[in-house]
Amino acid sequence: MTTGLARYDFAERAIHWLSALSFLYAAFTGLAMWSHKLYWLAGVFGGGNATRFAHPWAGLIFALVLGFMFRRWAGQMRLDREDRVWLRKSHQYAMNQDEGMPEAGRFNAGQKMLFWLQSVAAVALLATGVVLWFPEWMPRFLRLVAISLHPLAAVLAIALIILHIYMGTAVIPGAFRAMIHGRVTSGWVKAHHPKWFRLTLR
Amino acid sequence: MTNGWTDVANADVILVMGGNPAENHPVGFRFVMEARLKRKAKLVCVDPRFTRTAAVADLYVPIRSGTDIAFLGGLIHRAVSTGKYQADYVRQHTNAGFLIQEGFGFADGHFTGWNAEKKSYDKSTWQYELGPDGFAKVDPSLEHPRCVFQLMRQHYARYTAEKVSDICGCTVAEFERAADEILVAHAANKSGTVLYALGWTQHSHAVQLIHAAAMVQLLMGNIGMPGGGVNAQRGHANIQGSTDMGAWNMLPGYLKIPRANLTSLDEYLHANTPKALRPDAMNYWGNTPKFMVSLLKAYYGADATAGNQFGYQWLPKIAEGANHSWAYFFDHMTEGKIDGLISWGMNPVANGPNTKKMLMGLAKLKWMIVAEVFETETAGFWKAKELAEKYYPQAGDAASIQTEVFLLPASCFAEKDGAFVNSSRWLQWKETNLEPPGDAKRDQEIMSRLFLKIRELYEKEGGTAPEPLRMMKWDYATPYAPSLTEVTREVSGRDLSTGKQVSGFGELKDDGSTVSGCWIYSGSYPESGNLMARKGQDDPTGLGLFPNYSWSWPANRRILYNRASLDTAGKPWDETRAPLRWDGLRWKGDVPDYKADAKPSQYGSFVMLPEGVARLFAPELVEGPFPEHYEPAESPVENALHPEVSFNPMAWVIQGAGDQLGVAKDYPYVGISYRLTEHFHYWTKNTAASAQLQSNFFVEVPEALAKEKNIASGDIVRVTSARGKVEGPALVTKRLRPLKISGRTVYHVGLPIHWGFIGRIHGPLINNLTASVYDPNSGTPEYKGFLVNLEKV
Amino acid sequence: MTQTVVKLIDTTLCIGCKACEVACQEWNDQEFTLGTFGGTYQTMPDLAPNFWNLIKFNERETDGGLSWLMSKYQCMHCGDPGCLRACPAPGAIVQAKNGIVDFVSDHCIGCGYCITGCPFDVPRLLPESKKVYKCTLCSDRVAVGLEPACIKSCPTNCLTFGERTEMLRVAETRAGVLKQDGHAQAGVYNPVGVGGTNVLYVLKDASDPAAYGLPADPTIPLSVRLWKGPVKWLGTMLFAGGVLGSFFHYLKFGPKEEEAPEE
Repeated sequence: MTTGLARYDFAERAIHWLSALSFLYAAFTGLAMWSHKLYWLAGVFGGGNATRFAHPWAGLIFALVLGFMFRRWAGQMRLDREDRVWLRKSHQYAMNQDEGMPEAGRFNAGQKMLFWLQSVAAVALLATGVVLWFPEWMPRFLRLVAISLHPLAAVLAIALIILHIYMGTAVIPGAFRAMIHGRVTSGWVKAHHPKWFRLTLR
Repeated sequence: MTNGWTDVANADVILVMGGNPAENHPVGFRFVMEARLKRKAKLVCVDPRFTRTAAVADLYVPIRSGTDIAFLGGLIHRAVSTGKYQADYVRQHTNAGFLIQEGFGFADGHFTGWNAEKKSYDKSTWQYELGPDGFAKVDPSLEHPRCVFQLMRQHYARYTAEKVSDICGCTVAEFERAADEILVAHAANKSGTVLYALGWTQHSHAVQLIHAAAMVQLLMGNIGMPGGGVNAQRGHANIQGSTDMGAWNMLPGYLKIPRANLTSLDEYLHANTPKALRPDAMNYWGNTPKFMVSLLKAYYGADATAGNQFGYQWLPKIAEGANHSWAYFFDHMTEGKIDGLISWGMNPVANGPNTKKMLMGLAKLKWMIVAEVFETETAGFWKAKELAEKYYPQAGDAASIQTEVFLLPASCFAEKDGAFVNSSRWLQWKETNLEPPGDAKRDQEIMSRLFLKIRELYEKEGGTAPEPLRMMKWDYATPYAPSLTEVTREVSGRDLSTGKQVSGFGELKDDGSTVSGCWIYSGSYPESGNLMARKGQDDPTGLGLFPNYSWSWPANRRILYNRASLDTAGKPWDETRAPLRWDGLRWKGDVPDYKADAKPSQYGSFVMLPEGVARLFAPELVEGPFPEHYEPAESPVENALHPEVSFNPMAWVIQGAGDQLGVAKDYPYVGISYRLTEHFHYWTKNTAASAQLQSNFFVEVPEALAKEKNIASGDIVRVTSARGKVEGPALVTKRLRPLKISGRTVYHVGLPIHWGFIGRIHGPLINNLTASVYDPNSGTPEYKGFLVNLEKV
Repeated sequence: MTQTVVKLIDTTLCIGCKACEVACQEWNDQEFTLGTFGGTYQTMPDLAPNFWNLIKFNERETDGGLSWLMSKYQCMHCGDPGCLRACPAPGAIVQAKNGIVDFVSDHCIGCGYCITGCPFDVPRLLPESKKVYKCTLCSDRVAVGLEPACIKSCPTNCLTFGERTEMLRVAETRAGVLKQDGHAQAGVYNPVGVGGTNVLYVLKDASDPAAYGLPADPTIPLSVRLWKGPVKWLGTMLFAGGVLGSFFHYLKFGPKEEEAPEE
C-alpha cells in the first residue's frame, strides 16, 4: 500500500476525520433541534435530552479539532494571485473545463475558500454555541443574538459541507481514497494539483 | 373590635391609624377592599411609614411616631369648631351634657390634682357633679360651662391645624384633607370606622390615644353603627381569647383581680360593682356578683358555698397597689425575688423591651419551664452569648448560668381543638386535624399534668397556702387531659339546680346555683350544643352580621353598643343601615345591646356603663379624663404644647442598671419597630415558607438620611440606642418621609422585628434597642417612637 | 367547546401579602429555599426554577406623592407564546385549547430557548435537572374545575379567574370605574404583540406598564422570528439545492477524470 505519492500524512487524515465525525454529529443533532420536522433525528441520537447534551460537546470537539487543522493548514491556505484567477474562473472548473484553469497547488482555491469559510462559520458557531449552551448564565441580549446567528452559521457550514462531500467523493475520484490511505497516484496529482506536483514532488 | 371584620365592608370612611392591616391583617383587609369597591369608601392611612396599607389608600398622611393624640385632638377641635359632629347622637348617647366638679381644669401639662412630689393625681375634681338624688347632673343643652362638651371644646381649642402640623410633621393641607374625609362620617347616614393595632397600643399614652379615637367616633355618631366603631385588630389567632380569659390583674370576663385589702367577698363586690349614675342607666356591671359567684363555683365546685363566701378566701390575691405586670417582673427576677417562670405561648426574650435585661433576669431564676413547638430565644436564653455575643457581651456563659430549663414540647394549632377568638370577638371552634408528634402534648394535658403533680406534692409534703391548689375543682372525665369540650361547657355555664347548660349570662345567679368560667362567654355552649362550631352563612340584616356563623361574645352580639344606632325614640340614624329595629314589642336584627323587650326610651343606650351613655370624659384613666398630647418618653423634640411636661407624667418609666433613657443629642433619630406581612412574630422564622419570604433582617432608612450618611441599599448599618444595638443591611426607601417638626427635620428609622438568634433565619432582636417605658393603664411597652442613632459600619 | 381561561390581576387591589407566592410553591410541590436581600420587600430579585410567581415592589414618586406598586410577575400564557415558537422539542411546550401554555417536563430537553423566546423573561432552567419550569396556571387544578392556587389564596380578590370574554369585560369595567375615580390612564394590559395574554392586568396607569415591571409592547423576539423564518427558508433551500444540485451536476458533467494515468 505504499505505492503512489503521499498526499496526506496520518495526522492530517486523523484530524480531518475527527472533525468530519464531530461535525456530522453536531450537524445532525443540530438539525434535530433546528426544525420540528427533523426532530426524529433526535431519536436516532438517543432522544431529545441526549441530543441537547451531546450537541454542544460534539461542537466543542469539532472546534478543538478545527483548531489543530487550522494550525496545520492555515499557512498553506493563503490565497495567492493565481488562486484569485482560479476563483474568477471557478464556473469553468464547475463545468469540468479545467484546461484554462490556473494550476492548483497542494490545495486549489476552492478548497482554500472552503477552509476559510468553515473556519469563520466555526468561530461563529462556537461563540454563539457557548451562549446557547449555558443560557442561565448569559445576558438576554447575547442569547437573542445567538439564537438566530447560530442556525445561520450552521446553514452556511452544512451547505458547504454538502458541496465538499460531493466534490470529495463523486467529482474527484481518488480524493476520498487519499483521505483514507493518504496516497494518490502521480497522475492524480498532475491532473488536480499540477503546481504542487511541479514544485514539491519532483 | 366593637364591630367586626365583616362589618368593615359597611363603612364609608376607613381611618387606618396605628395599624397596617394590609400588612398584618391581609385576610381581614378584604373587607376594606369590599367597602371600597361596593360603597366607594375612602381609605385614609395615617402612619409614620408609607405602608402596604398606604400603598392602596386614597389618602396617606405621614405623622411622627407618638403624635397620634395631637392628630386626633385636631380632628376633635375641627369637628367641634366647624359643627361637623352628629349633634343629636352626642346629646343623646354620650356624657357630653354631664356636669363636672367645680375646679376641674388643665394647665401647663397637668390636669388639676397633680402632686409633683408623689407623681400622682388626686382625681377629686375629675368627678361628675352629683345631685341630691345621687345621680349626675346633666345639661341637655350642652351649654353649661362645666359640662363635658364645653370642657372638651376648651381642652382641644389648642389643637389647631397649624399646631397639629407642627407636632405631627404633616402639612396643614394634608391634615385638613384627611380631616375633611374623616369628618364626612358625622352625617347621620354616613359611617366611618377606625382600624388600629399595635401602632396605637405601644405608646406610653396608648389608652388615652384609643380614648381619643373613641371620642372622635362618638362625635361622628359612629359607635354602634354598622361600618363604625373603634376596632382593634388583634395580632394572634387567639389573643382576644387570651385577654378575655384573664391577665395578671384580671379574672376571666374582665372581673378585677382581688387585692389583699379586700378581705371578704362582700368587700370585693362592694369595691368592684359600680352604682348607676343616672336613673335610666341599666348599669349592667351591677350584675358583677352573679358573674363572680358563678366563676368561684367553677373554680371550687361544691366546696364553694354561701357559708364560705364561695371560696373567695382560697382565691390568690395581690397586695393592694402591687404591680406584677410584665413591666416589673423581670426587674423582680433580677433582684432575686422570683424563683421560677412558666413561659407558655410567649417568648419574653424576644418580646420584652431591653432584651439584655430579659436575659439577665432569666439567668437569676432557679428554674424555667417553656412549653413550645419550637426552641425559642427564651428556652435557649443561656446560649445568647454563644450565639450572639456581639449584642450581649455581658450575658453569662452557659456554664455560669444556674437556671434549670425544661423545654416541654407542646402542640401546634392543627393538633388541638378548641376555639380561637378573633378580632371580631367570634369564638370559632376548630377540630383536631393531627396528633401531636413524638412526645409533644396538647396544652391542656401539659397544664393538667403539672397541676396534678404539684397538687400531689402539696398533699404529700405540705407547703405555704396550699388551698388554691387543693380546693380547685378538677372533676374532668380524664383529669390529666381534660377534653376541651368539657372545659368549654363549664366556661359557658350550667344551672346546678337543673343540671342544664345556661343559655346566656342573663341566667347566672349570685346564690351559688350557677357555674360559669367566663361570664362573657356564657351561652356559647347552651343545651342545644356548641354554637362556636356553627358555619351558617345566612345574613338576614344584609349587613354581613352572619348571626349563625360561629358565636360572638357577648350573647352572640355582632355590633357592640348597637342600641346607639338609633335615636332615643328608637328611630335608626340611617334607615339603610340599621342593625336593630324596635317592632313595638321586641328588638329585631342583631342581638340588642339592650334589654330584648325594653322599649327604646327605657334605658340609656350604653347599658354597660353606670352613666347609661358613652364617655367623652373618662375619669377612671390614670393620666386624665381627656386625652392630651404627650411626647414619647424619648422624643427628638420638645412638647410643643407644654415643654415643661414632655411625656405622660403617669407613664411607668423604669430606670436603673442598663435601663437608661437616651436624649436627642446622642440619638437623633426616631426608631420604630413593626411587623412584616411575611412573618408572625418570632415564630415563623422556624417555618420554611415564611423564612423564605423574608429571610433577611434589614433596617429601613429614609432616602435623604441615607444620602447624608452615604448609605446605599445593602450597606451594613448599625442602629444604637441607650440600651443596645442592632446591625444589618440598609433598605433605602422613599417611604419614610423626613418630617419638619418645629423647623427641624426628623427622620424615622424602620426596624422590622422578626429575627432572633434561634431558628432557620437569624438576625438581631429589635428589643435590644427599646426602652422599659409603659402605658400606665395597660402596661404595654412603648415600642413605637424611641431614640436611636444610625451609622454605616 | 373548551373555554379560554384567564387570570385577572387587579393591581389596585394587591397588597403585596405574598400569599400567592406560598400557595404556588405549596401546590406545585416546590422546595422552599432562602430569599436573597435585594434592597426591596421582594422575596427574591427574580423568578427561579422553584419559584414561579413573584410579587415585585416598585417605589415611584408621582405628582400626587408616592406610590408603591406591587405587581405579580409570572407566565402570561400568551395567545402567541414566544416560548412555544422557540422550543425545538415538539410536545415540550403545549398550548392547550383553554389557552394554558404548559411545559411538559418529559419532553423538555433543557435547551433554554424558551427563556430567550419569552418576551416576558419568565421560564427558568434548573441546571440539576436540565428542565425548564414556569407557572402552569395550575393546569392540573383547572382541569378538574378548580381555580389556580394563587387565585384561591388571594385575600383581597385582587386575583380572579374565569372565562376570557367575561374576564375581559370585568377588567374593562373595573378600568372604567378607575377612570371615573380620576385615574384617566387606567386600562387593561392585554398586549397584542403576543396575541393577547391569558393573564390580564388592570393598571391604574396603563400608559406606563414598565412601572409595574411589564414590557410596554412585548413581541416575539426578532431573532426568534428570523430563525424560524428566513434562516429556515435559506437553510432548506441550500440543503435541498445542494443535494439536488450535486446530483444533477454529476449527471451532466460527471467526475473529473485524470488525464494521464501513470505507470
